[in-house]
Amino acid sequence: MWFFDYVLTGQNLALLGAGLAVILAGIGSAKGVGMVGEAASGLLTEDPSKFGKTMLLQALPGSQGIYGLITALVITIKIGLLGSSPAALTVAQGGYFLMAALPIAIVGYFSAIKQAKVSVAGIHLIAKRPDESGKAVSSAALVETYAVFALLVSLLLVLFVKL
Amino acid sequence: MSVSKMQKLTVIATMTDADAIIQRLMKLRAVSIEKASDGESKTVLDSFAPHTDVGGAAARVARVEAVLPVLAKHSRRKKKLFAAQAPISPEAYRTDGRFDTAWKVVEETHKILNGQAECRAQKEAVIGKMNAYRPYLSLEFAPDFAGTETSGYLVGSLPGSTRFEKLTEQLSDIAALPTLLSADGTGLYLTLVYHRAEEEKLLRTLSALGFMRAPLPPEKRTVAALYKEAEAELEELEAVLSKLEARLSILADKLGEIEILWDVERTALLAEENKRELAATKQCVVLRGWCPQRERERITALLSVFAVAYEFAEPDEGDDVPILLKNNGFAKNFEWVLGMYAYPKYGSFDPTLIMSVFYFLIFGLMFADAGYGVLLSLVCFGVVHWCHPKESMKRFLSMFGYCGISCAIFGVLFGAYFGDFPLAFMQNMLGRPIEALPRLSILPAEAANVAILFDPIQNPMVFLIIALAVGALHLIAGMAVKAYILCREGKIADALFDIVAYWILFAGIGMIFVAKTAGIIVLSVGAGTVLLTAGRHKKGIAGKILGGFLGLYDLINFASDLLSYSRILALGLAAGIIAQVVNLLATLNSGFIGFLLMIVIFAFGHLLNLAINLLGTFVHTSRLQYIEFFNKFYESGGTPFRPMAPSDRYVKDVSHEIDTSPATVSADMTQD
Repeated sequence: MWFFDYVLTGQNLALLGAGLAVILAGIGSAKGVGMVGEAASGLLTEDPSKFGKTMLLQALPGSQGIYGLITALVITIKIGLLGSSPAALTVAQGGYFLMAALPIAIVGYFSAIKQAKVSVAGIHLIAKRPDESGKAVSSAALVETYAVFALLVSLLLVLFVKL
Repeated sequence: MSVSKMQKLTVIATMTDADAIIQRLMKLRAVSIEKASDGESKTVLDSFAPHTDVGGAAARVARVEAVLPVLAKHSRRKKKLFAAQAPISPEAYRTDGRFDTAWKVVEETHKILNGQAECRAQKEAVIGKMNAYRPYLSLEFAPDFAGTETSGYLVGSLPGSTRFEKLTEQLSDIAALPTLLSADGTGLYLTLVYHRAEEEKLLRTLSALGFMRAPLPPEKRTVAALYKEAEAELEELEAVLSKLEARLSILADKLGEIEILWDVERTALLAEENKRELAATKQCVVLRGWCPQRERERITALLSVFAVAYEFAEPDEGDDVPILLKNNGFAKNFEWVLGMYAYPKYGSFDPTLIMSVFYFLIFGLMFADAGYGVLLSLVCFGVVHWCHPKESMKRFLSMFGYCGISCAIFGVLFGAYFGDFPLAFMQNMLGRPIEALPRLSILPAEAANVAILFDPIQNPMVFLIIALAVGALHLIAGMAVKAYILCREGKIADALFDIVAYWILFAGIGMIFVAKTAGIIVLSVGAGTVLLTAGRHKKGIAGKILGGFLGLYDLINFASDLLSYSRILALGLAAGIIAQVVNLLATLNSGFIGFLLMIVIFAFGHLLNLAINLLGTFVHTSRLQYIEFFNKFYESGGTPFRPMAPSDRYVKDVSHEIDTSPATVSADMTQD
């Protein structure tokens, strides 16, 4: 019992939320950027001059990781771990931050991978029709919408809570 | 803000003038070419297709192109991200000797490349020889020595795993004496002296052990002498190689000239390719293409010196007319954003101007920061001003330059100067309270802040409302364009029922918050109109009723379009918060060292944030145009107008655009 008394503190729950946001969204982005990178390298062996176009597509699934990072930073600032003195959090308050981090953590993970799949298809498009790279970027960017919304909800939940 | 009026151009000229006409039209950059034999009687015309040498021209381009990376590698010239184009006059270039000099450099470079390849192959062979000699360096006899009458002599190697003692043991009952020369991981190198009577027995034993005769040439000189000779040979080859390399470095100074040559040869290739599109009879050629209406005079002036018949005609129904957009100095920089989506259909509305205004507005709102904005503008306009990039790159940069201005304006309004840098610097580095900052807000409720309006991170809901309001304006502008298009086509009723009715509905929803009863009345009028008229094109009563309800259901689409603009808030917050964290880290330490650290962290962190958010803002601002705005009215599907033009990767043609010198002179000139 004493173990949980030490571990299950409000602050640790909030940190778990921050961690999940970075970890899940980060894994998703890493997988996604990796997938697109592999496909892009295949194309670049044929035509290295398309690097600029493929890099834009490769960067797109990377944004979810950044959104996770932002959420984690806002949580750590809010609970006073960066800068000012740490606030004493109840378990319920800590749990609130954990819940608030879930949207970007979960949606970030899945949307990064789905976006990467669209981007990989976009790389194939660029291979055949380099002039149409704008369309490839646009369709990949459509997937991003849902990560942006998840970020918005997570951010608003964290920013608005009064401690 | 319009799609330029285009005309169909047909020129019939004599075969001898074909080259000159095509070259001059390319210079004019005002006519696109279409395959003329399409639709003509092929059997007659194709048999007289003009003589073209696309293959030869392509080979010349390839020959120059192969040299470019080699010279670039040896060139001391600094690589420029935005290389300026060298000004040349193509006719003068061909006649004043520069053309021939450049070709000489290309040929010499190819010779050097061949020479290098040959030298390297020889070097490989010599090194292989030396490797073979090396284990036998201590051999006293020349390799061609085969023994005396009674005793045989063998030189060779055994696998590296064999032990010499074991060999002597195995040979103990044979009259043979092995002597070890050298040994390394891969082999034991040795000589054997033996009695000829036992040769067969010896060879059997040796082959069982894996003995190999030494791969030495039957020379009378010793191996050491041969090795020395090979060494000298290698040295000589190295000297030749370094001489060739040095020559390449000298030739590399001519890289600029070769780049010009590449463009000139590529222009010749393009001319041949254009010529291939012509249809021909025995004496005449037919050129078909498109040109903007406003270029008629220049084209007429150009053609007037030739013996030609030409005609400008209005496009027919069903023609795939190429699209040339015409916009003012500000909006034309945004045309490429439109091009990334799709060009408008011929005769339809060109939304570039309206889009550019909203692009400017939304970009600034999404990335509101005075520091980043000024930096972005300075870099973009600086490059445009100092580096003279190509037209397409110039527009690309100018667009971001203008967007930077917008970011700076909104940054001042929302008090973001590299995030909250003034605040962080004041609090953490100087140790002064926040109150020491000037309070600039014109809103009474706002706390101490440098923002003219308010800080979006403190008041995200207010910022969200602003974002949605801009979104509503954007959507209504899109609907207004649709209404305009409908009115222009004379479908006034459609404009009223499909657009204005929704506006009344929206107005009603807005008014409910101010005056409830009036709002409900206006809302009902709007909703009623939609309900009664949205299904008017459907067949049957059931269809009309269903259509009416579907029209009302469209409100859901409007709502989801509108909420999509909340991304302005999300991306704005993202940029602001990362900047805050950078500032926090930068101002953690005080004192002189702290100040130096601050500069490093500040520069690195904010550049990173700028790069990340520039990509995000660009992508999402574009998306709001493509999906939310264009969806309301845009008729896409045009192909962009690509006039015949000279190649201009490295050069800029500064000679006169319209060449009206007598036709025969230039026709002669192009014969060679």
